[in-house]
Amino acid sequence: MTESVIGVARARVDAPDKVTGATRFAADGHVHGLLHARLVLSPEAHALIQRVERNAALAMPGVVAVLTADDLPLTGAGSDRTTEPLARTEVVFAGQPVALVVAENEAAAEDAVEAVVVQYEPLPAVVDVEDAMLPGRALARVVEEEAGGGDMESIHAGVDNGQEDGDEEQLSDNVLDTVHRSSGDATALLETSDVVVSGTFRTPWVYQAYIEPQVATAWLEPNETLVVSTSTQGSFVTQRELARAFGLPLERIRVVAEPLGGAFGGKLALMEPLAAGAALALRRPVRVVLTRAEDFQATNPASAQVTHLKLGARKDGTLTALTARMIVDRGSNAGWGVEGITTLLVAGPYRWKAHDIRGYGVQTNRFTFGAYRGPGAPTAAFALETLLDELAAELEVDPLELRLQNAVVEADVGVSGNPFPRMGAVEVLERIREHPLWKTRASLPADEGVGVAAGYWPGGTEPAAAVCRVNQDGTMTVVTSAVDMSGVNTGFAAIAAETFGLSPDQIRVVAADTATGPYSGASAGSKVTYTVGAAVLKAAEAAREKLLKAASEELEIAPADLEVVDGAVRAVGSPDHSITVAEISAKALRFGGRYEPIEGHGGSAQTRGAPSVAAHLAHVRVDQETGEVTLLAHVIAQDVGRALNPALVEGQMRGGVAQGIGWALFEELVHDESGQLLTSSFLDYAIPLADRVPDIDTLIVEVPAPDGPFGAKGIGEAPVIAAAPAIANAVAAAVGIRLRELPMTAPRVWAALEDAQA
Amino acid sequence: MIPAAVEHVRPETLDEALDALTDPEAKALAGGQSLLPVMKLRIVRPSVLVDIGRLGLGGVQLGDNELRLGALATWDTLESAPELKRPSLAALAGCAAEIGDLQVRNRGTLGGSLAHADPASDMPAVVLALGAEVVVRDARAERKLSAEKFFLGPFTTALAPGELITEVVFPLVEGSGSAYAKVEHPASGFALAGAAAHVTPDGKRSVAVTGVGAHPFLLPADADPLDALTEAEIYGDRFAPTEYRRHLAGVVVRRALDRARENMEKAA
Ligand SMILES: Cc1cc2nc3c(=O)[nH]c(=O)nc-3n(C[C@H](O)[C@H](O)[C@H](O)COP(=O)(O)OP(=O)(O)OC[C@H]3O[C@@H](n4cnc5c(N)ncnc54)[C@H](O)[C@@H]3O)c2cc1C
Repeated sequence: MTESVIGVARARVDAPDKVTGATRFAADGHVHGLLHARLVLSPEAHALIQRVERNAALAMPGVVAVLTADDLPLTGAGSDRTTEPLARTEVVFAGQPVALVVAENEAAAEDAVEAVVVQYEPLPAVVDVEDAMLPGRALARVVEEEAGGGDMESIHAGVDNGQEDGDEEQLSDNVLDTVHRSSGDATALLETSDVVVSGTFRTPWVYQAYIEPQVATAWLEPNETLVVSTSTQGSFVTQRELARAFGLPLERIRVVAEPLGGAFGGKLALMEPLAAGAALALRRPVRVVLTRAEDFQATNPASAQVTHLKLGARKDGTLTALTARMIVDRGSNAGWGVEGITTLLVAGPYRWKAHDIRGYGVQTNRFTFGAYRGPGAPTAAFALETLLDELAAELEVDPLELRLQNAVVEADVGVSGNPFPRMGAVEVLERIREHPLWKTRASLPADEGVGVAAGYWPGGTEPAAAVCRVNQDGTMTVVTSAVDMSGVNTGFAAIAAETFGLSPDQIRVVAADTATGPYSGASAGSKVTYTVGAAVLKAAEAAREKLLKAASEELEIAPADLEVVDGAVRAVGSPDHSITVAEISAKALRFGGRYEPIEGHGGSAQTRGAPSVAAHLAHVRVDQETGEVTLLAHVIAQDVGRALNPALVEGQMRGGVAQGIGWALFEELVHDESGQLLTSSFLDYAIPLADRVPDIDTLIVEVPAPDGPFGAKGIGEAPVIAAAPAIANAVAAAVGIRLRELPMTAPRVWAALEDAQA
Repeated sequence: MIPAAVEHVRPETLDEALDALTDPEAKALAGGQSLLPVMKLRIVRPSVLVDIGRLGLGGVQLGDNELRLGALATWDTLESAPELKRPSLAALAGCAAEIGDLQVRNRGTLGGSLAHADPASDMPAVVLALGAEVVVRDARAERKLSAEKFFLGPFTTALAPGELITEVVFPLVEGSGSAYAKVEHPASGFALAGAAAHVTPDGKRSVAVTGVGAHPFLLPADADPLDALTEAEIYGDRFAPTEYRRHLAGVVVRRALDRARENMEKAA
């Protein structure tokens, strides 16, 4: 038998090209006759557009066009960023694209942007999300728009909104969506609980901070097919979104997803409508590349959120009930918000006897909300995991034991109303309990502390298909339309290799486009390996069947008595009786050949998600003089189902923790009272640089997912979720203060320390 | 992020450069680490860039009584020059090492930083605390300005139009010790508060702060430095509200003084 390739660390298949600079990203492609577009962004947070003065810009050398919404062949329905890529009559956040200057080169376009004068009639800017909810408050959008549909939410987690109820809270029309999840009498149960803790938690808008700014290029083929080459997480969803925006049939749109320079949830159908609209209007190829400053202002970061949370427990440590009121700032996103997900995840991987959770999706004049790794999850976990620690302190029990005592096991019913599938909540907590950092936490130097926290991600599903094709030389090409985000192609290679009987080096994975590839959803929601991977497995099985059938004829041995080892088919128990995969394939792929091509198609339609859970330990030192928090060490234990490639799994765990450090200590997009963005560069927006990310101890826990390929489950989002509260709990352990707002910047920590002393 | 169109000249001699800089729209280009970013944002739009990189202004000369640093000396040079590895000048190398990242330190220059006069830049505090003089020239004459008279406000100095910094001259004090301490801005890495201290065996001390006000400044020699800070006009923003920044200034002043004294002891 060949040695298994599952569970073996291997370099990413895309690594050599990326490291040597051979990868061609979306902005690198050479397109004949390409025009360059630059955006005119609104300086106003909320205003009506009165007039766009474009003559001065048009008179400048190299300028081809200055386009506004009316110039793009949009259907006109909808007011989301896909259907209204340029503001039509009303701007609803500072940084919203208002016009597009298209020129023969980028410099000319940039010169001309300054010459476009837009006259605005300012309207009151709605920036305080809690205030915006009150009846009678000014609205963040005043012009009524026809609804445009769209299916962005389902891309990420596809959760429902709990039950409808006739409960009549008085709210302004800025509240676009309400969610209510309840079971039992939570309020009564809290009243009779031995210990109750509560708090209001605030988290800011957070930027995905991918390396590659947003970019898309579009052109018309002579046969009128619109081709869009882009940096996106999903080709088919982009195709659908473009069809919706421009009222075109799907077959007239071909979306090519280029290698992705980072996305984290932020790259879905934002730039493509601009490039496509301009290309359709001008009938010439057009590229839109954002600068970093534009990317900060004009894209779709994670929502700010306010969470009011109350928890109770009995003296023996049993959690009783939780009540929550969660306010999600959607900015201008009328299509969807994270109120559905965050109200689900605020209960954490724990058992509750009763709950009453309300969520509100509220529009304001800030950005357009978009997804960011585990949308709605870190915000919920910060509130819950902080209060669980406070509960443990009140109960005088070990905070890790409190979590273990209440951790969900299979069949426990969650606040979604559905039973949890098997998930390693207990296992990951037990794993970190044994870690030396936890065991020795009592003997740390002054101003140091260790905190614990846990969080889970439900895991998404979407049907997908894949093709495995054996080439004449005996190598295999795996074709999917999944965008290779976080190394999924490397996982596909391992799955196909293991299933078919080749070594991963003999497998090439290619991403096809919407005109050529089998269906795949967007790379989002921690679902790609779980769903597309399962399709690859079936496709490899199907190809293997064809291989064995042909080999059986060649060797005159029944398929059941054959095995595939190291690129050859041989008789079980008689290895000399063999024929190579290349020999068989060569007999198939030729004029007058005898066998069907050794090629398999496979599909998957997972019906249940495979949640992944992670527990963290953070070790911090707090400089009491300056308030600076230094993360000294971090431990994460995550249930990954099955680590197809431990190197990649650990990479995801590290990356998630690093972004969690950003949530905890650094990242914050800030507006002033008039809705002006104060953080539109990396000079103002701090992210965890390499020197602020300590050694991260990654502990892989494997509780196989019943439906996942080789037991694998989606693992991308879980590791970011509880990193920030672990750090917050470590700060509390170190110096006794608890912050209710992220990030825990030095001035905030210092002020809290001063308050504690006063 | 594309600058407006600009001409570029690269003179071979100082005189040619000074001549080119008589154009009021001209700007000297040293390391470009401050100038190019503001040009890309189109905050600054010179008509011509006068590249001063070939004028031989990058030297480090250690004499008996003074240290002369060429305006084009890079941060990396200051960090690694053997001439600067002495307790009295430790603030120079220590400060340079805390600026930006390696790429920035390979390009950014002493003269460029002083001329740019970002109120949060680090090295001006060291230049002040060590009592340096800034040597400047235009097409007609050369003059020397004390560091104390050099910084006038945010991005504003005593440099006249057409003037170039050619050198910065530091007096040497036998047996002294110096140090720089900083709390960095979490995003930009510039000083949220920075302090340079210089202490001499006869008990004198000189302390300058940066990042906390409109421009870097010396604390009065005769008063307790921490008392002086309570009087000073301190700038506040989201990253460091005034009260916090004043407090930080006190922290870095104390840290710089402690380290300067330690360095002086090493010299003894
Ligand atoms: C990513 C990054 C991080 C940074 N971090 C820090 C930091 O932590 N701390 C810090 O202090 N600085 C920091 N800087 C700024 C850096 O130190 C710059 O090098 C310095 O401010 C300017 O030096 P320069 O040689 O690059 O000058 P340039 O950018 O070439 O010029 C700056 C200005 O000075 C003028 N000028 C240049 N040389 C002379 C001269 N000899 N005479 C007269 N005028 C002159 C130019 O005309 C221009 O107006 C950072 C810069 C970057 C890009």
